Amino acid sequence: MRSWLLTLTVAAAFVAPAAAQQIQVEEFTLDNGMKFLLYPRTEEPNIIAAGWLAKVGSVNERPGITGISHFFEHMMFKGTNTIGTKEPEKDLEFRMKQKAARDKILSITFNTQYPRWKEGEIDDPWDPSNDTDELSKARGELTTLMEEHKKIIVKDEFDKVYTELGASQMNAFTSNDVTFYFISVPANKFELWAWMESDRLVDSVFREFYSERDVVHEERRLRTESTPTGIFQEQFDAMFWQSSPYSWPVIGWTSDLNSYTKEQAEEYFNIYYRPNNLVGVIVGDFKSEEIKPVIQQYFGRLSRGPVEPPPVVTLEMKQMAEQRMYAECDCQPQIEVRYKTVPFGHKDSYPLEVMSDVLNSRSGRLYKSLIEGKKIASTAAAQASGFFGAAKYAGSFSFNSETKGDAKPEQLEAAWYEELDKLQKEPVSERELLKVKNQTIANQYRRLQNNFFIMVQLGILENLGGWRHINDDSAKIQAVTAEDVMRVAKQYFEKTNRSTAIYTRLASAATEAEDPEFAAVKEKVGPQMAGMLKKQLDQIKKETDLAKLKQASEQMAQAIGAGQIPPQMADGVKYMQQKLNERIAELEKGAK
Amino acid sequence: MKNYTTNLVRGVAILAGLSACIAGAAFADSGAELPKRPESINFKPLEFQPPKSADYRHVLSNGVAVYMIPSKEFPLINVSFSFRSGAHIEEKPGVAQITSAMIRRGGTTSKSATDLDEEFDFLAANATPGSLNALKSNFDEAFALYMDMIRNPGFQEDKVRVYKDEQIESMKQRNDDADNILARTGGLLMWGDKHPEGRVVTKDQFEAVTIDDMKKYHARVYQPGNLIIGITGDFEQQEMISKLESAFSGWAKGEPVPDPTDTDHKFTPGLYYVEKDIPQGKFVVTSRGIKRDDPDAIPCLVMNDILGGGGFTSRLMKRIRSDEGLTYGVGSGFQTRVYYPGTFGVRTFSKNKTVALTAKMVYEELDKIRNTPVTQEELDVSKKSFIDTFPRTFESKVGTVNVFIDDEWTRRPADYWQTYRDKLNAVTIDDVRKMAQKHIDPAKLMMLVVGKWSEVAPGDPNETRDSHKANMAMLPGGQNPTRLPLLDPLTQQPLPMEEATKP
Repeated sequence: MRSWLLTLTVAAAFVAPAAAQQIQVEEFTLDNGMKFLLYPRTEEPNIIAAGWLAKVGSVNERPGITGISHFFEHMMFKGTNTIGTKEPEKDLEFRMKQKAARDKILSITFNTQYPRWKEGEIDDPWDPSNDTDELSKARGELTTLMEEHKKIIVKDEFDKVYTELGASQMNAFTSNDVTFYFISVPANKFELWAWMESDRLVDSVFREFYSERDVVHEERRLRTESTPTGIFQEQFDAMFWQSSPYSWPVIGWTSDLNSYTKEQAEEYFNIYYRPNNLVGVIVGDFKSEEIKPVIQQYFGRLSRGPVEPPPVVTLEMKQMAEQRMYAECDCQPQIEVRYKTVPFGHKDSYPLEVMSDVLNSRSGRLYKSLIEGKKIASTAAAQASGFFGAAKYAGSFSFNSETKGDAKPEQLEAAWYEELDKLQKEPVSERELLKVKNQTIANQYRRLQNNFFIMVQLGILENLGGWRHINDDSAKIQAVTAEDVMRVAKQYFEKTNRSTAIYTRLASAATEAEDPEFAAVKEKVGPQMAGMLKKQLDQIKKETDLAKLKQASEQMAQAIGAGQIPPQMADGVKYMQQKLNERIAELEKGAK
Repeated sequence: MKNYTTNLVRGVAILAGLSACIAGAAFADSGAELPKRPESINFKPLEFQPPKSADYRHVLSNGVAVYMIPSKEFPLINVSFSFRSGAHIEEKPGVAQITSAMIRRGGTTSKSATDLDEEFDFLAANATPGSLNALKSNFDEAFALYMDMIRNPGFQEDKVRVYKDEQIESMKQRNDDADNILARTGGLLMWGDKHPEGRVVTKDQFEAVTIDDMKKYHARVYQPGNLIIGITGDFEQQEMISKLESAFSGWAKGEPVPDPTDTDHKFTPGLYYVEKDIPQGKFVVTSRGIKRDDPDAIPCLVMNDILGGGGFTSRLMKRIRSDEGLTYGVGSGFQTRVYYPGTFGVRTFSKNKTVALTAKMVYEELDKIRNTPVTQEELDVSKKSFIDTFPRTFESKVGTVNVFIDDEWTRRPADYWQTYRDKLNAVTIDDVRKMAQKHIDPAKLMMLVVGKWSEVAPGDPNETRDSHKANMAMLPGGQNPTRLPLLDPLTQQPLPMEEATKP
């Protein structure tokens, strides 16, 4: 604490600029209800970051069409009657024929394959290898139609037009709460953006409506199924949220992804992709008076939706009992403890944010306690839901940590409860609070340094509760007191309000080879015996029946005592006995 | 609910007709016909000249170059200290990484690590060994801390332990993700286990790095003879120069770190695979490529952009993702290196049973770009895109000084950016084909797959279209694929393979 005095004086001089940076954004709303946020900024010359968002995400879906928001995001890049085809009439014909073929496939799937699956005749109603002849034929027809259609599609023309004219960073994302499409264009090409975006809003044709599913299935395999913890995180979300539509994944359940129909897509589009549910955001090197007429001219041609988007009705139920999940995967042993808190903009979201900041970073509490002090964690972090992901209608607070050495996730859990207990019983120190607030001020500037990032933030905030949060939230953090933090630490962190996921490493060859003892035994007993031994050891490792293990150990001891073990196997058996006893000790310890 | 939906659908149908009328009306109102296609919009020309580094270069009295671009937008100052470093000068593997981490995390000779972290955080300054981002209001305090950190690092022993433990835990996860297995195994095949590009530091090597090793490495690298500086943000240039001069007083100047050299290892073309039980096989098709300053670099850039570098406008993406739905992403790249040839590679992934088909299409596209001319349209899209996005290289001031610093370290020709667009413009259809023939030889590529081989090898048994029937044996080297073991994440020693699934 040598430096305490020095930094205190610094701090005194430093809290002054609490009136954080304000950015002046112009709001501009067309008659059809589409709102635009304009923020001219010349610090990055020659570039405009432009985007628009639909105030819709997986939270607006229902069982049966989960993932449709994300699927739409893919569809929006597939063109219009102008972009993506040279023969719009023929193109329409193909789309109609494909729809008929697909409807037939769906009808057979639901009327024949689902019942067959229910009765146990087939293992998966969607797997083509289980197709009936009729279904296989229908599938063949659709494939042929798609192949034929390809010949008249101008592939990825949407991308081509933008790329050729110097646009970059084109992308889109879908979250639980929002779908956002964005790009950077050279400053002289704002009209290009207006042309392309209004065209796909006024004239989207859902081309490649069926073939694009394969791409999304690959995306799901990539993000969810081929990552160490992906499928378990999906399961944890589904367990964590009880009634809230946040419980299903943004990418959707597999069966739903297979089933979307043209009618469902059109219904969805007409509710959520009408100008009254859209917001445009433009940041960069432009003059408002020059681009407003262009916006008017292009986006003014969109027509308001037939109905207002319905409200998200279902609130998350109050959780009444603790929930736990245990998963085994190819992953570092780790834990997540998650609590239900408050939606974005709630007055308690600010002290919860401060609480997570006090816990995080190398000078924060978790690092000092779990990583440096107890030496049981290799990583530890707290996260208050805020910006990305599920936040608009409900919120959460997570503790995440990975083990170090031989520590068990349960030790991380216990250490977290200790930290939580401190937060509930003692107010955080003035210095900790001031540190968090200082960082909020600096980060308030840092987050406003890039056109693209400003555009994304404005859009997300506008969807969550209004773009002005970009200016106002810093002051709300400055107003948080130590008592506020203690109050929220008590209020939202009850045992009955928590859900815990514990991940342990799947027993595999990878961990065995780290054991030098086993390597030595292998050398003595030879590879064939080692292979058998390894299988036995894996079983021992998984065995949880103490009595069974004790019996095996006893039998083995008797066999050794009676000289029944051939000499070439002696080392292997001895090693196995040792592991058996270790496992017994481990289970007995766990039981206490 | 049911009622609601029915009404809605009907509403939609009515509206679909209606919206066409409204749209028509809006056109009439605005009085001006919108362009039929985006290409027919009249765009004003955009003038852009790249900045010249010499206009921003200053030299301190000890000879250190400083690039400065001030801006008043926010009261923040960003300092980059670029010390030339790297694994190529290591006497022990892992020294470069540990030293760099511990300079930030190990305190200073007069300040404990905990105090240093606390003070940086309290000042809201973001510091790394090579940069400082601080508020203008407390810049002097933050900069003094930063200078103390890089000149007098403490390498506090208990913090070294914590860092090593953290890294060892992350080493343990090396086999968890197929991407990591692909990168690690691919690096070894391509560069060998001696060169920094292929070498993977083991737990024992990491543990063997001592505090003396770190001090030695620090003395070699973190000194003004091996430094170029870049500063952006809210400051006065003369004042900043004086601050630097006084912060540098008494700091002995050494030699700059030498250039890295190439590997002696020669990779063996062929088909390799590593077993991993995941639903999606990931693979790379790769060979050595070219140096950054190779005269072929710019034509290769265009060729690669058309082949697979240009996202959705590239051939690989159009065919394998958009046409076939076989993957979520596919791309190719010439990853050039400054001092020795880099690599060329195509990377993608697909469900196990369509890996063979995907790879077959990759090879077909490689043949195609070698043997048939690209279209004028493909060439134009690519060239225009590079030229029109060129200003983005100098979009931000921080980015611009970093370009200047990098160019000085790597002795890039002074007119490189000034003539960049002309060189791009000069690329012809013929150049593209020549580049592909010269730098991509399908017979000499190495393919590495990570996935479930029993599903990957035979391809999709249900595929009925002749053009889409594929298995791994059809591919170059596919008659004789080499199975590689998974490597132990801590020792890099091969793990036993008997448990893997057989085709």
